[in-house]
Amino acid sequence: MITKKSLPRRTFLRGMGTAVALPFLDAMVPALAATRSTPPVRMAFVYVPNGIIMDGWNPDYEGPLGELPRILKPLEPYRQDITLFGNLTHNTGRALLDGAGDHGRCCASYLTGVQPRKTVIDIKAGVSFDQIVANQVGKQTRFPSLELGMEDARQAGDCDSGYSCAYTNNLAWKSETQPLPPVLDPRALFERLFGNGTALTPAARARENLYRRSILDFVSDDTRKLETGLGPTDRRKLDEYLSSIREIERQIEKAEKDNAQIDPHMEKPYGVPADFAEHFKLMTDMMTVAFQSDLTRVVTFLVTHEGTSRPYREIDIPDGHHPLTHHRNQPDLIEKVTQINSYHVRQFAAWIAKMRSIGEGDGSLLDNCMIVYGAGLSDGNRHLHEDLPTLIAGRGGSHFKSGRRIVYRKETPMCNLYLAMMDRMGVHVEHFGDSTGRLDALDLT
Amino acid sequence: MQFPGSAKPPVGIVFDSAMARIDDVLALAMLHGFEGKDQARIAAIAVSSGDLRAAQFCDAVNRFYASATTGQAAMFMHFAPIGLADGKPAGESLMFSKPAGATGIKSINDTADPATLIRNALMAQYDQNAAVVLSGPATDLARLLDMYGVKDWIARKVRLLCATQTGMQADPAAAEKVFAGWPTPIVTVGREIGEALPFPGESIAKDFAYSGAHPIADAYRAYQPMPYDAPSWAMAAMLYAAHPNDGYFKPSGSGNRRALVLDPEQKERIIRTYVEMASAKPVPRKPRRPPDDKKDEKKQDPAK
Repeated sequence: MITKKSLPRRTFLRGMGTAVALPFLDAMVPALAATRSTPPVRMAFVYVPNGIIMDGWNPDYEGPLGELPRILKPLEPYRQDITLFGNLTHNTGRALLDGAGDHGRCCASYLTGVQPRKTVIDIKAGVSFDQIVANQVGKQTRFPSLELGMEDARQAGDCDSGYSCAYTNNLAWKSETQPLPPVLDPRALFERLFGNGTALTPAARARENLYRRSILDFVSDDTRKLETGLGPTDRRKLDEYLSSIREIERQIEKAEKDNAQIDPHMEKPYGVPADFAEHFKLMTDMMTVAFQSDLTRVVTFLVTHEGTSRPYREIDIPDGHHPLTHHRNQPDLIEKVTQINSYHVRQFAAWIAKMRSIGEGDGSLLDNCMIVYGAGLSDGNRHLHEDLPTLIAGRGGSHFKSGRRIVYRKETPMCNLYLAMMDRMGVHVEHFGDSTGRLDALDLT
Repeated sequence: MQFPGSAKPPVGIVFDSAMARIDDVLALAMLHGFEGKDQARIAAIAVSSGDLRAAQFCDAVNRFYASATTGQAAMFMHFAPIGLADGKPAGESLMFSKPAGATGIKSINDTADPATLIRNALMAQYDQNAAVVLSGPATDLARLLDMYGVKDWIARKVRLLCATQTGMQADPAAAEKVFAGWPTPIVTVGREIGEALPFPGESIAKDFAYSGAHPIADAYRAYQPMPYDAPSWAMAAMLYAAHPNDGYFKPSGSGNRRALVLDPEQKERIIRTYVEMASAKPVPRKPRRPPDDKKDEKKQDPAK
C-alpha cells in the first residue's frame, strides 16, 4: 500500500544521552510527493598552508581533465568529479602597505575576503562567507557549521610578523572580531556530533570507558525499531552508515591506545592521533558522517596552519614545512615541498573516494557537495597571492560541470567563486569581499 | 608594492593607454625611466585597445627593463600582469609586427581585466600618492567607476588623472562618464600640446643604441618610415603626472577639471626630459622582499 507517510529527515536514533542522526534514506521521500525530494547541497573547505609548488599542480592545458600533474595525481581516478581553477586571486592577502606577514594575511582573508588588521591584540577581519551561508542554511541542521583542524589552535600571540595567531589558526569568522577556532580532537568532535550536542561529562565518559561500549549500543533499541520499517536498500544504507560510525570509534580508541605508548613529552591532546594520515582520515570520516546525516552543511577544515613548521617524518621529511617552502629555487628543497603537497592531496583523494562511494539521491554524496581544496598562497617561496591553487570536488547538487580546468583572467577575485558557491547554497548576496561579479563558466548550462 | 618603514615612495602611476600610437610606447618607456630613477613607480599598466600583441609588447618591455636585475632580487622578482580590455582591436598596429622579446602572455587569460587590475593596484598605494595617466578611450576607467566601493578608493588614493583629449575621443560616452564621476582632479592634454612638443626621431638611433634589440626603438622604427618626429600627447601626460609641481606645465584655470598649458620657454626642457627618460637604461631593481632566515628559524613551532 502506498501512503503519503515518510520518515522525517530529522529522525535521530536516541539513547542514554546520545543522538545519532540518520543519512538520507529512501524512506524519507514521500511516495506520493508531487516533486521528488532532493538531497541538500553542502560545502566544505580544506585549507593547506604555505602555498604549493605550482609546477606540480597546474596542468599545461585547459578544458577536460586528462592526465594530472604530479601533486594532483592521486585525484586522477576522480578527475570527472573535480573542477580545477586557474588565476583566482586574493588581493586582500597582499601587503597593501602592511609589509611582511603574508601567512597571517592570506589565511585571515581566505574566506573573509578582507584585509585583516595588522595586530596581535585588537584583531579585526570580516565575517567569513561560510558563516554567511551558515547563518542562513544552518537553521535547517543541528550544527550551522563545523570548524575543524589538525594543528595548534592558539588564539593569542604573534604568529607572523605582527599578525595575531588568531589570523593564522582560524579560517571561519563569526564576526569581524570573532574567529571560530577549529576542533582538533577527534574524540571531542565525535562527542559533539553524537553526544546530544555536548561533550560527555567526565563521569559519563568514565562509565562508557568502563563498559567499553559503542555509542551504537546506546541507540540499539531505536535502531531495531527503525529497521523493521525500512526496505532492503535503506537497511543496507543504514547498516553501512552505522558501521562507518563504529569504525570511527575504533580509530579513536586505537589512536588513544597508541598515544599511550608514545613519548610522554609529546604534548598531544587526548584522542589526537600521532599519525597525520590517521588524524586526517578520522576528521574527514566524521565530516562524511556529518554531511551524510545532514548534521551540518558547512565545514571548514584547516589541515595545518599558515606558517607551520611541522615536519613530515611520516614521509621521511624531518625539515619544517614553512622553511622548506622558502626553497630559493633549490631543487632538493622544491622536491621535499612537492612531496608534502602530494602527501596532503593523497589524504584528500582518499576522502573524495569515500564521499563518492556513498550513494545519495540519484548520485553520490560527493555529487551534492562542493568541497574546495586550496591554499591562500600559490608560490610559497615568493608569497604570491595570485593563481591560488584551487579545486572543487563535487558538483554542488549537479549544478557544476566538473571534470574540467577553467582558467580565468589574471586577478580574478577568489570572492567571485564564493558568490557562485553561495548561489548554489541558496544564499544570494550581491557583493562579497572584493568580488567583481559571479564566476562564470561553472554551470552545466 | 610599497612597504612602510621608509619615507613615502614616489608617486605610483597607473598607465591606461590604447597602445595605438608611438607616443603611447614612448610614454611607457618614460614611465620605466622614471621608475629606474626613483621618480615614479609603475602601479599598473593597462591596454584599452583589446590588442593582445600590445599587451605582449608591454609585458616584453617590462622584462626588458628588468633585465639588469640579477641575483636574489631577480629570484624574487615578480611581473605584475598587464591589463587588457576585452574586445576586438580597431586595427593591427605595425608597431608590434616584430616580437619585442620574451613575454609570459600567450592568451587573454594571461592578462587581467583592466578595471580589476587598476582597483587592486590602487589599494596598494599610499593615500594621495597615485596618479592615473589615460591615453586612449576612457572605457576602462568608466568601468572602474562602476565597481562596487571603488570610487572611495580612487578618492583616497589618487591625486590626479591626466588624460589626453585625442585618446578619449574614441569613446565619448565613457569620457563623459569619467568627467562627471571621477572623484579627483582631472587635467587634460590638448591636441596642441602633443603637436608642439615632438619627440625627436634622431634620438632613436643615438640614445637607444645601448641595446641592439631595444623594444622601444624597434617599435618606433616600425610605426612609420624613418625619419620622423612623433607628437607627444601621452608623454606630456606622463611627465605631468610624475612631476606636476616642477614647472614643466601649468594647468589652466582652477577647479577639478583643467587643461595643460604649455609655456614656450619650457619646450626645450620638456623635450630634453622626454629623451632622457624614454631612453634611460634598465637599472637593477631592489629585491621585492628579501627572505628572512631568522624569521623562519623563530617560527619553528615550539610545540614540536
